[in-house]
Amino acid sequence: MKMPSLSRRQRMLVLCAPFNEQRITDRAMRAAVFRVKKADEFSHQQFFDRAVADLIEKTPMPPEVAEWFTKETTVAPPKRTWKTIATNPAIVAIGIAVVVIATVFAFRLMERMSDFPGADTARKLLTTASSSRPIMLDPIKTDAGALGDLFFMKHRLNHYDVPPEFADLKTLGCRVFDDEEGHRVAQIWVVEKRLQFFLFPAERNPKSGEVREFSDWRYVEQEGWTGVVKQKNGVCFMAALRGRERELTPYLSKAKP
Amino acid sequence: MTGDALKGQEIFQATMHEAALRAAQGELPKDRLWLFRDARGRCLEASESEMQAEEVEMEEHEIAAWAPKQIAQLEPGQLAIWIAGAPEPQRSALALFYLDHFNHEDLLALIELKPAEFSKYIANGRQQFQSWLNASFPHEPA
Repeated sequence: MKMPSLSRRQRMLVLCAPFNEQRITDRAMRAAVFRVKKADEFSHQQFFDRAVADLIEKTPMPPEVAEWFTKETTVAPPKRTWKTIATNPAIVAIGIAVVVIATVFAFRLMERMSDFPGADTARKLLTTASSSRPIMLDPIKTDAGALGDLFFMKHRLNHYDVPPEFADLKTLGCRVFDDEEGHRVAQIWVVEKRLQFFLFPAERNPKSGEVREFSDWRYVEQEGWTGVVKQKNGVCFMAALRGRERELTPYLSKAKP
Repeated sequence: MTGDALKGQEIFQATMHEAALRAAQGELPKDRLWLFRDARGRCLEASESEMQAEEVEMEEHEIAAWAPKQIAQLEPGQLAIWIAGAPEPQRSALALFYLDHFNHEDLLALIELKPAEFSKYIANGRQQFQSWLNASFPHEPA
């Protein structure tokens, strides 16, 4: 078999590869030798080296020297240093895996820590927002703040009010639908920045039936969409848009007293 | 290394004597290859005090498939003389490489050579020895 093409370093390693496989402790050399193992040129080299080593073995040694010169006692095994342990591919692979798992775990933990009651519903509604088209909504051109009365009068939805921060924005349309759990959800589409508003019932304690309160505005993200949620009177309001948190922040800073 | 069994034995005994003295004084070096380093140093000193062979450019031949048969016709002493005649550090590289006693890292540390230099000395030594074999025991195709 012909010699396979080797890099300069591999060629160098093959040329001085020990003829005794037990002496190959270097990973790079083992890989280089593995590549050329079946090549005629390398076989000739190995047979040559073994023949020379056999001849050396036959060198007569005085008995007083022979009793001292044993392979087991003259060279201590090399110490395993931190460097050799750290560069071991198995250790490196384990290290990378641990870092990835820790990162995912930390990410999930941070996500959970910043969660609020109703965050799961908010995320589902962000998915709804991403797939909504204006044609799906009933056209209505008014201030968003005025729709609270409509929801109450037409759909008997109490406290489905748009907070003052977003109340002045002009609407394109709205609709009321039931989500997967049968909760009544109001959706409003506004002109500015293709913002969408959602009003949905706040999460309740299944045992006591009490609303799980949370204070101030909370952000939630899902597949490139960001929402900012506030709860009042047992109803959550969410303003959602395709983009980042910083695009929603200016609306919150102009809060009215 | 010396090409002379008697001289080799003297060096071996001197090295062991040095090791015993150091051990008795509790001053054995931490270097696990110290014994070999010391022995090599003594070999080099011994050969420096001798008449030096003139440096000649040796012919190099490709390793032949029939090389083991040619080598089998040699006496160990002939091989020892051939290796001892090689210039330093090639001599040390060949002697320690064919001793089949050290791994690659130990060899580099012991002879204090870079991997590329060590590889070159071994590969050239092989081809020079093949050339000498071809001249001494010409291959006759069957």
